[in-house]
Amino acid sequence: MHKIAITLWALSLAAQQDARNPRATPEDIAAGAKTFRSHCAPCHGLNAEGGRGPNLAGGRLYHGSTDEDLIRNISEGIPGTEMPGAFYMEDRVRQIIAYIRSLRATAPPTGDPTRGSALFESTGCVRCHLAGGRGGRLGPDLTQIGRLRSQQHLRQSILEPGALVSPRYRVVSFKNPSGKQIQGFIMNEDTYTVQVIDLDEQLHSYARAALRDYKVEEVSTMPPYKETLTAEQVNDLVAYLSGLRPE
Amino acid sequence: MKIRHSAIVCCAAVSCAAFAADVTHERLVNAAKESGNWMTYSGSYRSWRYSGLDQISRQNASRLKVEWVYQMPTTLMVETTPLVIDGIMYLSEPPSNVVAIDAATGRQFWRYRRELPKPINVCCGQVNRGVAVLGGRVFVGTVDAHLVALDAKTGSVLWDVEVADRKTGHSITVAPLAVKDMIVCGISGGEYGIRGFLDAYDAATGKRRWRFWTIPQPGEPGGDSWPGDTWKTGGAPTWVTGSFDVGQNLIIWGTGNPSPDWNGDSRQGNNLYSDSAIALDADTGKLKWYFQFVPHDVHDWDATQVPVLVDAEWGGQPRKLIYWAHRGGFYYVLDRENGKFLFGTPFAKQTWAKGLDAAGHPIRLPNIDPSPEGTYVWPGVQGATNWYSPSYNPITKLFYLSVWENRSVYRKGEQEYSPGNRYIGSVPLIDLPEDPGHGAIRALNPHTGERVWDYRLHTKPWAGVLSTGGKVVFGGSDEGHFFALDADTGKEVWRQNLGGIIRANPITYLVDGRQLVSIAAGSALFTFSLGR
Repeated sequence: MHKIAITLWALSLAAQQDARNPRATPEDIAAGAKTFRSHCAPCHGLNAEGGRGPNLAGGRLYHGSTDEDLIRNISEGIPGTEMPGAFYMEDRVRQIIAYIRSLRATAPPTGDPTRGSALFESTGCVRCHLAGGRGGRLGPDLTQIGRLRSQQHLRQSILEPGALVSPRYRVVSFKNPSGKQIQGFIMNEDTYTVQVIDLDEQLHSYARAALRDYKVEEVSTMPPYKETLTAEQVNDLVAYLSGLRPE
Repeated sequence: MKIRHSAIVCCAAVSCAAFAADVTHERLVNAAKESGNWMTYSGSYRSWRYSGLDQISRQNASRLKVEWVYQMPTTLMVETTPLVIDGIMYLSEPPSNVVAIDAATGRQFWRYRRELPKPINVCCGQVNRGVAVLGGRVFVGTVDAHLVALDAKTGSVLWDVEVADRKTGHSITVAPLAVKDMIVCGISGGEYGIRGFLDAYDAATGKRRWRFWTIPQPGEPGGDSWPGDTWKTGGAPTWVTGSFDVGQNLIIWGTGNPSPDWNGDSRQGNNLYSDSAIALDADTGKLKWYFQFVPHDVHDWDATQVPVLVDAEWGGQPRKLIYWAHRGGFYYVLDRENGKFLFGTPFAKQTWAKGLDAAGHPIRLPNIDPSPEGTYVWPGVQGATNWYSPSYNPITKLFYLSVWENRSVYRKGEQEYSPGNRYIGSVPLIDLPEDPGHGAIRALNPHTGERVWDYRLHTKPWAGVLSTGGKVVFGGSDEGHFFALDADTGKEVWRQNLGGIIRANPITYLVDGRQLVSIAAGSALFTFSLGR
């Protein structure tokens, strides 16, 4: 079963390759790898396996997979994501593309996404996370998380959510001008004001000078699932989340 | 001076155009005496970004109101410093356009719109920092690396010369400087492995008078600071406007980073004259002296700051000085007769040098170079300060600047040069989401480097500062706030949310006898006054 899946994956990868890429010799691929490691690896991983940015060795490139799509995405960045433009001449970009296409596809998720979907409901993920138009507002929106994060990243986020807490989801607490204790997340801030969603999902905007006992803690409100879920359940959940990539 | 101001007061907006931009070298030399105008990028050849105007003071600045707003048809970042001469504002818009505006109403006289080829190779946005004006002409550098002379009354192109080949990563973002009958213009491309230079062009014809290569070739003094052919691709651009020492006939300019930025393995040596202050004879372009802030830089700490020229006592003697807060986090005082180091001290947190030696060279700490796994160093890649202008106020005798307190992860990667491609050596993590740092407007005692006051900002500012005879310091933030501070204490006396990122320098001038203050924010230019 797995062999068939991997073969199909590889065929799909081959189908995406553009035979017209004039910079796809072994030398070009080596040059592309060098550029990739120094400029792309910080986000996409040393071997394009993903990290902060998505896995590029998976054979699926969700923002377009023709050479022209990739030239555009690499050169200009991808709006609405953290992907910046790379400012390379086209021949250098084509070398990077040749390198990406030369990578062996990593295995698809091994879990069962249907069971993962059920777990997403039963373990309470849905209370804080939005997916498929349904869910809470206190955690990151997972609607397109499969496009944005690698399997490894998703796995770590489930097992150790406190390992890396983005500033948007650090817990802020303070007493408001009425003396009421507020706890929540900072949605925006500047030198003079702060905009917050509290744990009851209410929005507030305050002048900083009016707040007392202001504190930001680098902790996650999400519980770790290391001890709660079995390895198989984690695989199922990762499979479900990896598949959240609406067209 | 009074006569000139009277002329401005009497001139109705329409008739101002009659003597638009009748700017002579003599007027530019005496620009500080024409406080009703803003005639060069930094307001005068000494580059104080100071105006003696005092109608707007720390006592009444709280009454500032919007006078007019000029919207630019662009989504690019606006880094411009406008010039205002005899009631007309000359404003560059990104990428390389110029407009002339009635400074009283914000209404446009003309627009020069440059058609640009593709691709344009600029490291950090297709921006433009301003124009120069001389003899009825407006001069602008373009991101396709041309210098263009426009008629100040109509915007018609009088000449257009290619400064360098855009296809090899050259571009122009700097505001040119008019000196004598020449236009001095720098170049960008330190992230593309250019060989940097500073040029002077005949303002009448566009013919190049001289070029000073900021990287010497083998056999020239300093040529041995570059191994092999690395001098050909070593960077050292000149992308921020310098100053002119009239008495010594010296153009004093800062140079940028060596290329590739974050991997110096191939360019072992001091890499002259990258990251340096250079002083050139204005007539010949010959090097008189230099001072290198960071020999063999591997952190991208350009010396592309505005040199602030001040005559003051030093050690009990009158001296010709330069005040310079450098991107690497140290503040310097140099002797501008010979470029000798007089004094230096950190003005922001830095973790890369134990201090400066007697010659002003950094005493580097171990393990501060970029590495494949990443090295944390303060200041960050964008420096403790950057291109945005500082200000010196002769009344308070303080030096004001925008400061960043942050760190970056410096990564080292492999890179080979190829024309027109980035040549930087890696991609550092410039901003750390978990530790973004903060910013400040800071006042320093320029002779001791001591901090006199700090106006702390939540985010790191990319806007310059302006100080005035009314003892006001104007500054802006990435958050979109434009504010006025008490120049003595740093206390905020006024602020306005402009709703767009401020990455430009403020100016002030007179129109109809009233003091106005202008700053670009978002894609608009906002002008403030105390009202009528």
